[in-house]
Parts: sequence; C-alpha cells; structure tokens
Amino acid sequence: MSEAGAEAIRAENIVKTFGTVTALNGVSMRVARGETLGILGDNGAGKSTLIKILTGFHQPDRGQVYVDGRPVSLGSVDEARGFGIECVYQDLALVNGLSIYHNMFLNREPLWGGPLKLLDHKTMRRRAREALDEIGVNIPSVELQVGQLSGGQRQAIAVARAVSSNNARILLLDEPLAAMGAREARLIIDLIDRLKARGDIAIVMIAHNYAQTLEICDRVMLIQHGEVTFESHAASTSAEELLDIVRREYRAARAG
Amino acid sequence: MIDTTASRAAGNGLAARAYGLLLRPEASVVVVSVALVIYFEIANQNFLTNANIQTISQFVAAPVIIACGEIMLLICREIDLSVGQVFALAPFLMENVHDVGVPVPLAIVAALLVCALIGLTIGLITIRLGIPSFITTLGMLFLITGLTLTISRGYPANTDGGPILTGIMGVWGYSEIVWALAIVAIMHIVLRHTRWGLHTTAVGGNIVAAAEAGIAINRIKIANFVLTSTLGGLCGLLEAFRVGSIDPLAGGSNIMFLGVASGVIGGTAIAGGAGTIIGGLVGGIMLGVLQDGFTLLGINAFTFDIVIGAAILIAMAANIHLARLRVGGAR
Repeated sequence: MSEAGAEAIRAENIVKTFGTVTALNGVSMRVARGETLGILGDNGAGKSTLIKILTGFHQPDRGQVYVDGRPVSLGSVDEARGFGIECVYQDLALVNGLSIYHNMFLNREPLWGGPLKLLDHKTMRRRAREALDEIGVNIPSVELQVGQLSGGQRQAIAVARAVSSNNARILLLDEPLAAMGAREARLIIDLIDRLKARGDIAIVMIAHNYAQTLEICDRVMLIQHGEVTFESHAASTSAEELLDIVRREYRAARAG
Repeated sequence: MIDTTASRAAGNGLAARAYGLLLRPEASVVVVSVALVIYFEIANQNFLTNANIQTISQFVAAPVIIACGEIMLLICREIDLSVGQVFALAPFLMENVHDVGVPVPLAIVAALLVCALIGLTIGLITIRLGIPSFITTLGMLFLITGLTLTISRGYPANTDGGPILTGIMGVWGYSEIVWALAIVAIMHIVLRHTRWGLHTTAVGGNIVAAAEAGIAINRIKIANFVLTSTLGGLCGLLEAFRVGSIDPLAGGSNIMFLGVASGVIGGTAIAGGAGTIIGGLVGGIMLGVLQDGFTLLGINAFTFDIVIGAAILIAMAANIHLARLRVGGAR
C-alpha cells in the first residue's frame, strides 16, 4: 500500500474563492510515495491556499482530494492528520523555551502508568534520540532547548517530529529553505533526500529558490494567478526556463 | 553545524555542568540568600535562633504560596492582581458559612470552593471576552475588596475551631511554612512532570505552536486562574488562623506583589514561557530574610521599603542578564 511509486495524494480541479477573489482556478496535482514535488509561484499566486486545502485548513469550493487513490474530505487539520498529512511551517511550530524532546512529543507525551499520570521523560528522551538518529539529524543532546539551535536545526526537529511522532506519510513543507545560509540549507536538503530514500513518504514543498528546488525535487510545478501554468520533471527543465516564464508574466503585467 | 552555546551546554565536562548550574537564576538567589544570612548573623547574634527562624518562616510562607499560583500564570503569559483580595475574602467566607452552623473544616472547604469559582470567573472573563488578565483582575481587585468590606461591614472578626484544627492551620509556629513547602513540592511536580505544567510552558513560550499541537490553550489558562485564586484563599485562611483574627484589609496588593516578586526574583520570565516553582521558593526566602534581617537591625520602615525595592530591581536585572547568557548569541 505504501510502496514507492504508488500515488500518495492527488488533487483534481480544485477551485477556491475568497469573496470576489479566485485563489485557485481548477488546480490539479499529484505526488507519489518517495517523490518530491516543488511548487513555485509568486506571492499570492495560490501556493499557500493549495497547501492549506491539503492540510484541511481550508475546504475547496469545487474539486476533489484523493489519498492513496480514495476520495477524501479534509474537513479539519485533525482529519488531514488522520490521513498522515502534516505540514511543517518554518519556525512557527516549535516552543523555544522547551527541550528538543519535549517539543517532539508536544501534546503526545508518553505517561507513566498509574493514577498520577506523570510525564515519562525517560521514554521521551530515548524515542526522540532514536527518531533523530533514524533520519540522520545530528544533534548532540535532545535535552537542549530549541531556542539554542540554529534555524536549520529547528527546521530539522520540526520535520523529525512530523515524520516520527506524528507518523506523517504526506509531508508538506512551507518554504523550508527560506532565510537559511548555504550550510543550514544543506542540512535540510540532506534530510529531505534521506526521507525520499525511505520511499514511503511523499513530499510537497513550497519554495522560491528555483535552483534549490530543481536540485531537491523530482518534479516542479508553477502556479500563476491560481492556475498551473507549467509542470515538468526537474531533470527536463532549468532555472532559466522557469525564469523565462515568470519574466514573461512580469512583462505582461507591466504592459497591462 | 552546532553553534558554540549549544555544544557548550551539551558538554559532558563537570565544569560545563557547574557553569550551567550557576547560570540558573535559582542558584544565584541561593548564593545571595546565604550571604545575607551570614551577614545578618554576624551583625545580630539573634538571627539564627529558633524563635527568629520561626519568624522568618512566617515572612516567607505567604508570598511563596501566592508565588506558586502567580508563577503558573506568568509562565502562560497571564497575571492575577486580585489574589491578595481573595486572600482577605476567604476567612470571612469561612466565618459566614460557619456562623450558619457548618463545622469549621467544611466551612474551610466551602470558602476554598468560592475562591476557585472566583478564579474560574476571572479565567472565563479573560478568555471569552478577550480582555487582558491585567485588566480583568484589576477590576476584580476593587470588586472583591468591596465584597469583603460589605460582608465584614468593615469590622475584624475572630477565627473559630478546636486546638488541633487551628494548630494545623497556622497556630503552631511552623505550620504555615510546612503548608508552603508541601504546596511547593506538589506544584514543582505539576510544573515539571505533568502535561498541565508542560503545556503551561508551551502556551507561554509559543501560543501558535501550542495550538498547532492541539493543546487546549483556554483550559490551561483557566486552570491556572482557578489554582491561583484557590491558593490565595488558602493562604488567607492560614494567616487568619495564625493571627487568630480576620482583618478585612489583610493581604491586598502587598502580598500579591511579594508573590510575583518572589517568582520573578527566582527566574520566572514576566514575558512568559519560563519559570520554576523552586525559584519562587528561593525568591520568597530571600525576601523574607531581607525583611526579617532589617527588622532585627532596627532599620527604619521607610528605609526598609527602599532597600526591598532596590533588591527586587537588582535581582530582576540580574536574572534578565543571566537569561541572555544562558541562551547566548545562538540566534
């Protein structure tokens, strides 16, 4: 069911309007397990709306989402989680004042048995360590406060939490490389590569940097004004080609 | 890949651990308190006598009990300014219930239940109407003062109860500090070893992340308001039993600020997201030692307030600076 290559999530003809504004006008996309799809586009093009529909935050006006080939209705973030869909937002999702292991188990903490329901810190530490080792995140101690980590490390912790504690199988990454130095970005790119190699996780990432997106992703699609205007395998396109398309749009916008 | 602060904090060396421990606000307050005790003992030979330690314990107990509630609220970015008024109201509630024929122990429980209801009201107003708790509890401060004066008609009253009950509740010299230490122990476990405590820290540290993780933010905050009012009421009852009389103007903003100051001196962040109950205990001890030491030295009450004020300012400034050192320039 979850072998690489099998379709993980598919959206067909998604339409979403906010008042008089049409954010998405018939957008379709699909990602397979073990595959990474990069979604590119200008601010306000509709990328975030699409992601928010896939996480159950917004509901589409028209169109259908399929998980594992079955039609599903994602009425809430919790429902989407139930299907293994999890979104990692940059920097938003972690509590800086808490340790790494507390963050990784936030609101899913294992407890000691008995009537007192005390937190099982020991199990949390051990499982956090295992989870980080498993996906190759190199952190000296899970007891460090998240606030002491760099941006890249925090992002890695957030991804590790989604995949390990929450058992996400469809991972949505919102600008995972924004505002990151080259070395930090490398940390995340390597992490995404390892997750891809596992074969059971489908990754959708929103990004701005064409070169990085083409390096990380198997396929890319460009959303403009709520429509998919370009879609290609990463290997058969280039940053230049993508830039050309966007440049043409700018010229058209200026002329209009 | 790892920044220097992180690797330093994670270092296995004993020196690294000792350095980390010394940077904790509780540790610096303990060091200052011990220095103060030594100074007062040298300056006045009566400082470390049984009678005086008992007096210090009575100075310390009430602010520490109040601090246990305020620390939980401060950590989740709330505050209760009216806890000192609940402190004054609780004994009158108990007496009024007792006057209609209810035995004292049950009257105590009834008074505490009303205090819990006051906390619930504060919480619901703050959350449902979206009013900052600073404002909600400022209003409650006046409202409850008026309520206490109305119930008492402005007159003090005497406490009732047999010798054992009154002994446990405060007449025995050390009973109030025993209550305080027991509450500290329980609240320390609540803060460090239960979901309630962990989620309180998460809500104060990053409310968006807490909501994302599915934490019931409103329930956590309301629980902490209920806790603080109940502890304030309990503290008022203990003081009333110890003194043997009930004063409608007892407690008040003074006891509330001493509780908040104990917490903040002990390292609780006014901006939320961090704090320890043990810090509140050592902060309260430091304030109590100062208060008692200066009284023994015969320092004028006006000067005393200047010294306490300065001590609080210095301790808070030191803690903010230490917090910066702990996190370092990691970001």
